[in-house]
Amino acid sequence: MKPLMLQGHTRAITQIRYNREGDLLFSCAKDTKPCVWYSLNGERLGTYNGHNGAVWAMDVDWQTTKVLTAAADNSARLWDCETGKQLFQWDTNNAVRTCGFSYSGDTIMFCTDRQMGYNPTLDIYDIRAGEQLANNAPLLSIPIDGPKVTSAVWGGLDEYIITGHESGEFSQFDVKSGERVRNVKVHTKQINDIQLNKDRTMFVSASKDTNAMLFDADSLDHLKTYKTERPVNSAAMSPRMDHVVLGGGQEAMQVTTTSTRIGKFDARFFHLIFEEEFGRVKGHFGPINSVAFHPDGRSYSSGGEDGYVRVHYFDPQYFEFEFEF
Amino acid sequence: MPSVEPDNKPSWADQVEDLDDDVDDVPTTSGSSKVDALIAISDEELPPPEEVIDGDTKIITEYSINDEGKKIKIIRTYRVETRKASKTIARRKAWPKFGESEYEGPGPNPSTTAICDDIFMTFVTNKEEALNEKEEDPMAKLKGTRIVQCRICKGDHWTTKCPYKDTLGPIQEELDKSDKPGEAGAAGASGAEGQAPPARAPGGKYVPPSLRGANRGPGESMQQRRDDQATIRVTNLSEDTRESDLQELFRPFGAISRIYLAKDKVTHQSKGFAFINFHRREDAARAITGVNGFGYDNLILNVEWARPSTQQ
Repeated sequence: MKPLMLQGHTRAITQIRYNREGDLLFSCAKDTKPCVWYSLNGERLGTYNGHNGAVWAMDVDWQTTKVLTAAADNSARLWDCETGKQLFQWDTNNAVRTCGFSYSGDTIMFCTDRQMGYNPTLDIYDIRAGEQLANNAPLLSIPIDGPKVTSAVWGGLDEYIITGHESGEFSQFDVKSGERVRNVKVHTKQINDIQLNKDRTMFVSASKDTNAMLFDADSLDHLKTYKTERPVNSAAMSPRMDHVVLGGGQEAMQVTTTSTRIGKFDARFFHLIFEEEFGRVKGHFGPINSVAFHPDGRSYSSGGEDGYVRVHYFDPQYFEFEFEF
Repeated sequence: MPSVEPDNKPSWADQVEDLDDDVDDVPTTSGSSKVDALIAISDEELPPPEEVIDGDTKIITEYSINDEGKKIKIIRTYRVETRKASKTIARRKAWPKFGESEYEGPGPNPSTTAICDDIFMTFVTNKEEALNEKEEDPMAKLKGTRIVQCRICKGDHWTTKCPYKDTLGPIQEELDKSDKPGEAGAAGASGAEGQAPPARAPGGKYVPPSLRGANRGPGESMQQRRDDQATIRVTNLSEDTRESDLQELFRPFGAISRIYLAKDKVTHQSKGFAFINFHRREDAARAITGVNGFGYDNLILNVEWARPSTQQ
């Protein structure tokens, strides 16, 4: 396969995401301008200009009309996907770490960091309600006591939000009451990424403790573990095959403080059920920070610390490959 | 924005770079020297970029000047594809560009989109994976290093539990003693002769020659080439050393098949090095760890694997 290399960012990629149909690929980085690309030919459609800090996360609603970004400039912003115009800006006390549209696209959530004496809060807004936006009065604001949230997704028909924490814990927050319904701790270090599967019944987590794990989204039951030797920054499930792709690697700044060496920034493919690695794809020359499968499962993309997004269309060998068991 | 036609019509064009970018050097007009060439170029106007669309291919020709001051002609060939897509996707394809890409034309911009070299997914099997893990496990490295070291034979156990405590220990003590009054080491070695180590195989059991060694076949022939695998080289021996001394020193580590002490042809004195052939490579390895750096005859012995004779 000949990957497309998208060179629209000047700093490390923090997250990439496809829209629902997969024709657009969104990328955000530690520079201030999130980009949107046509996934088929790598043509850049545009950038969302306005942030003044690193953009940690972004999301797009199911109709591909609105884009939500979370940034370290103490703001979360809502954009018009088509024109790149900013629709709304939420100002927060400190950096916004993660954000997401609910499945309906009507409500959004974002979570702030613990900095400068402020505790993290998980805020939920209904973007149809003008008074919530005008008065900066969220539908629900959940204060997070305990380790800060590093990754979060909507789950269970938009009834709760699953949060991954700095300590390796997962929590489930009820969107109606704001209560912490469940809390499990299987990972031992920070959760870097949570991604749901196609039907949103399971999610795969990527953790700094070098493992990726599969969980039931409803009960938070731990189902499978995919073991590697380096920190896992992102993991995604294929919508087409029983495959999981893991992206990670040792950061250059941390090589001296850990036992593992620098290098080997491959994307690693594991079988979803047998937990065994069967393939690797090279290409990045820095740790992979985010991976995403195309919704049709025929291609996947990865964004790395090197600032590049690589779009890979699988060769026929990938589809012919049969896992031996 | 005109509305986009529904599915059945090929609704949008798509351009995929075809990765046969040709880079042609165009010879400069005046070429007497490099500086001349540079001036000539800066005076000269670069031809405007051309774009030719021929059927389903689009060829863009651009001119630029590279770092060496040479004019470069870049030809990019694109394949224009028409694909069917759903209405929403087709509508999105027709969106005008915005933000940083606002002024870019249709099709991928080479400055932001590139095609990489062909890469392949490498399929790994479980076996390879297991091997890789072994290599990378930092604890595996620790396994090789010893935490406990015997003072007598430098083995991987406590000194009191040393199997050579009775044999090698007295030699060492004797040597230490003889070192103190400053006697010649040969005397010390002969002193130890009194308590010569009992002829005991390291395993404690007699092993017939046919079964000695790891892969030894039935029987050994006299003509068989010496096994370099179990040969060690001892250097920094004193001139007074004799073969019997070496025999005594290395005997405790295992059965020795041959000792060669290099001697001067005229004086018959030791040249200071010797080769010891053990029957078993493990014995040789133990001898190296045990005797290397051993103080013998006021000299510190240097023991290492003998290099194969072909290399010498």
